Amino acid sequence: MVYLNNAATSYPKPMCVRETLVRTIDAPPSGQYRSAGISDAGDIMGECRKRLGAILGIRDENRIFFSSGSTESLNMLFGGLGIPPEQIITTVTEHNSVLRPLFNRTGGAPVLLPCDAEGFVSPAVFEAEARKGAARAAVLNHCSNVTGTVQDTAEFGRIARKYGLVFVLDVSQSAGCLSVKADEWGVDALAFTGHKSLLGIQGTGGFFVREGVPFTPVMFGGTGRDSRVIVYGSESKGLSDIHAPSASDGYEYEVGTQNMPGITALNEAAGFLLSKGIEQIIAEEKALTEYCTARLSKIEGIRLIGQGNHAHSPVISFQSDILPPADLAYVLQNSFGIVTRAGLHCAPLIHKYIGSGEQGTVRVSFSLFNTKEDIDALAAALEEFS
Amino acid sequence: MRIIGKRKSLETCTEAGWDAFDLLTEAPLTDEDIICLRAVEGSFLYLRKLKKPFFKIENHNYIVKGVQGDSFFRFAVHRDHADEVDRLAEMFR
Repeated sequence: MVYLNNAATSYPKPMCVRETLVRTIDAPPSGQYRSAGISDAGDIMGECRKRLGAILGIRDENRIFFSSGSTESLNMLFGGLGIPPEQIITTVTEHNSVLRPLFNRTGGAPVLLPCDAEGFVSPAVFEAEARKGAARAAVLNHCSNVTGTVQDTAEFGRIARKYGLVFVLDVSQSAGCLSVKADEWGVDALAFTGHKSLLGIQGTGGFFVREGVPFTPVMFGGTGRDSRVIVYGSESKGLSDIHAPSASDGYEYEVGTQNMPGITALNEAAGFLLSKGIEQIIAEEKALTEYCTARLSKIEGIRLIGQGNHAHSPVISFQSDILPPADLAYVLQNSFGIVTRAGLHCAPLIHKYIGSGEQGTVRVSFSLFNTKEDIDALAAALEEFS
Repeated sequence: MRIIGKRKSLETCTEAGWDAFDLLTEAPLTDEDIICLRAVEGSFLYLRKLKKPFFKIENHNYIVKGVQGDSFFRFAVHRDHADEVDRLAEMFR
């Protein structure tokens, strides 16, 4: 099998991640602040936060909180920030993990910025919208999961700061395979997932909220700490001896039993990435992407979608003159053993702008475990159609 | 060709509001089997020159597609016409 669907979930995982996961499941369980001296899981979480902070460009890693992934993180962010959708600027390049929470919250619709045929959103258009003064937040997809196009995030951050907007960045597709500099870019909140280029497993991820950004927990429950406290905030609700005056301590954002096997695996994966070096990974995956672009662009009847001069993640979308995307992906998988993804990729709005229509695209996406031989196999398969 | 069962496809067409099933055949699909499937109503596409030839039959309500040599073919159907999958399976039972 040739696996070219890493933008959905990366495969395979580094051997050390697998071994750590198995070892964690085999060991007696523990949870943050709840262990009975078996092991200190808090150290794993702390180490994982530190490593993620290094990957995401966040110095205050204690403001990184774990969740089940980007979708949960974004829902928690939008709920916790409490900004009505109509006061939020976002883009047509967003994934449904952004669009659906925003469009289904009480209130109006968010403002949608268009993109060009490559999937690039103009910072000038963003500034023109921000200048109107109606918005309080901006939500940006760092790079498109359809075209791979990387946005000018630093410029978005500058504009957001200039107009006093809370800047939320979705790095689901970029964390681990692109340079992310949350602090430098002025990111106020960020969502990430663990199972894509961070090389962790499904059901892991998290979010970051900068200290000082007004943010209310969306979920409440047991944390293993200060168990007598039931009521947070200024109102005691008749429980004066068991309420805390402030909900600002970070641990309230991680409630219930945490996914320790997943977080331990994510910690190992983050360590693997840092040890290899993000810049090295970027270089290797960029070489694969460029090689694939060059190969596919020479095949008659294959049309690359969203290619151009902007920076790209290791993702390529294309269409064929012979078969619609769903059928081409079916043939690639069942005739050639090549796993891709076809369709809208849960990003329904971008296709009108990049010219891929209602059927979407076939998408191939790479990890550092792919090789040029994988791409040669894809090219050879597609050449059979020309 | 004889259909011996069906299973819900792991790779559905849910983005478009369709469901997909894999219809299991008692033996790998041959060229003859695929030609036989032309009896199913709809436009017929057969890419015979591929190493593992691909076929597709499409009408407004469903899509049938598969690859020669596999012991299944896919049946994608709009939810409003979900009963069509059993009708087709019955034709080749």
